[in-house]
Amino acid sequence: MSASLLDKILQPGGLSVVFQPIFEVHAEGRRLHALECLVRGPSGTNIESPDILFEYARRKREASLVDKTSIITVLREASKLCGEPRLSINVHASTLGRDRTFPSFLKETAEACSISLSRLTVEIVEQAPFWDKRTFLSTLDDLRSFDVQIAVDDVGYGQSNYQMILDCRPDYLKIDRYLVSGSHADSYRRAILESIALVAQKFGSGIVAEGVECIPDLDTVLSLGINLIQGFIFCRPLPRSELIASDLLHYDSAPRVLAICGL
Amino acid sequence: MESGIKKPYRILFVDDEESILFAMREYFSIQGYDVDCAQEMEEAEALLAKVCYSLAVVDLQLTGLGGAEGLEIIGYICERYPSVKVILLTAYGGPEIEMEARRRGVGAFLHKPMPLPEVAQTVSELLRDCSL
Repeated sequence: MSASLLDKILQPGGLSVVFQPIFEVHAEGRRLHALECLVRGPSGTNIESPDILFEYARRKREASLVDKTSIITVLREASKLCGEPRLSINVHASTLGRDRTFPSFLKETAEACSISLSRLTVEIVEQAPFWDKRTFLSTLDDLRSFDVQIAVDDVGYGQSNYQMILDCRPDYLKIDRYLVSGSHADSYRRAILESIALVAQKFGSGIVAEGVECIPDLDTVLSLGINLIQGFIFCRPLPRSELIASDLLHYDSAPRVLAICGL
Repeated sequence: MESGIKKPYRILFVDDEESILFAMREYFSIQGYDVDCAQEMEEAEALLAKVCYSLAVVDLQLTGLGGAEGLEIIGYICERYPSVKVILLTAYGGPEIEMEARRRGVGAFLHKPMPLPEVAQTVSELLRDCSL
């Protein structure tokens, strides 16, 4: 039998990284706010898709190991970017709730890659319902003590619910694309977006709309006061070389971004 | 109102032999099916959690160590995804294995080596009543 998928994940070059910009949009223009670092599984396998990759890792009971391997891969790749963009990295709540060594691991890895911890946002993702909440919250406290910011990813989906928001008191809420896509034509979606925007305001959190893919949805989220935008409307996830070639790391105005994206 | 365009059925093949998976993917793709292949139980489970399948073809032994992991997967699929039709394909199974597989919910039991057109015939028969 050939090497298991887990072996393929863990071997050097097993994982790859793409970066998707998050833009801060204002009336006077738009600028890069952060890059979300997205991991892809071994090319040509079922687990190339991140959804299936982490579902597989969870079923192998190796979610924490795969999370850590992903972070090593991501930070090594990000260290080769020009400038010092803010970086969002995905970590499963189950990893934060089971692995007390995670904060020190992240610190050591970031230092080895010459990346300041204050540039990092940990995006908490989770679809599995069980983890040790006490460990989870202690781990978040440790991360905060390192100046790492915390985001709850995919708000409105899976375990990214009000309970998670209340427990985490995140610096950012990232609204799942399911709520954003088609919101311009759906008053119910807009009502939920509005309520999340209000929660973010009350918590003093930033709020990011994910999956913005058309102008009407962009107008909708902006009208609700959500001005951190991530989605294909501005830029698809790009490998490092394409990101650098696109010059997106240095842009500072709406017309330029729109022109780069062919809009 | 029907659009007149039928979506292809999606089939999951679970086998630890790459050559068999390769043959299945090639043959059934040409037949117009959407095909995914998995070599490990956890890989199959992850796919089943994220993708909607009409049918799964499962090999009895996945590790090559003489186990019967296929029965475990069949039980898993039939319990959690009852709309997925299941075929057990094996070189080793006797009547006891077949009985156990049917008890767990398998729709058909095929012996290796089985010519691909005959596997396809069984797949087609099982899917006949399967609505998308």
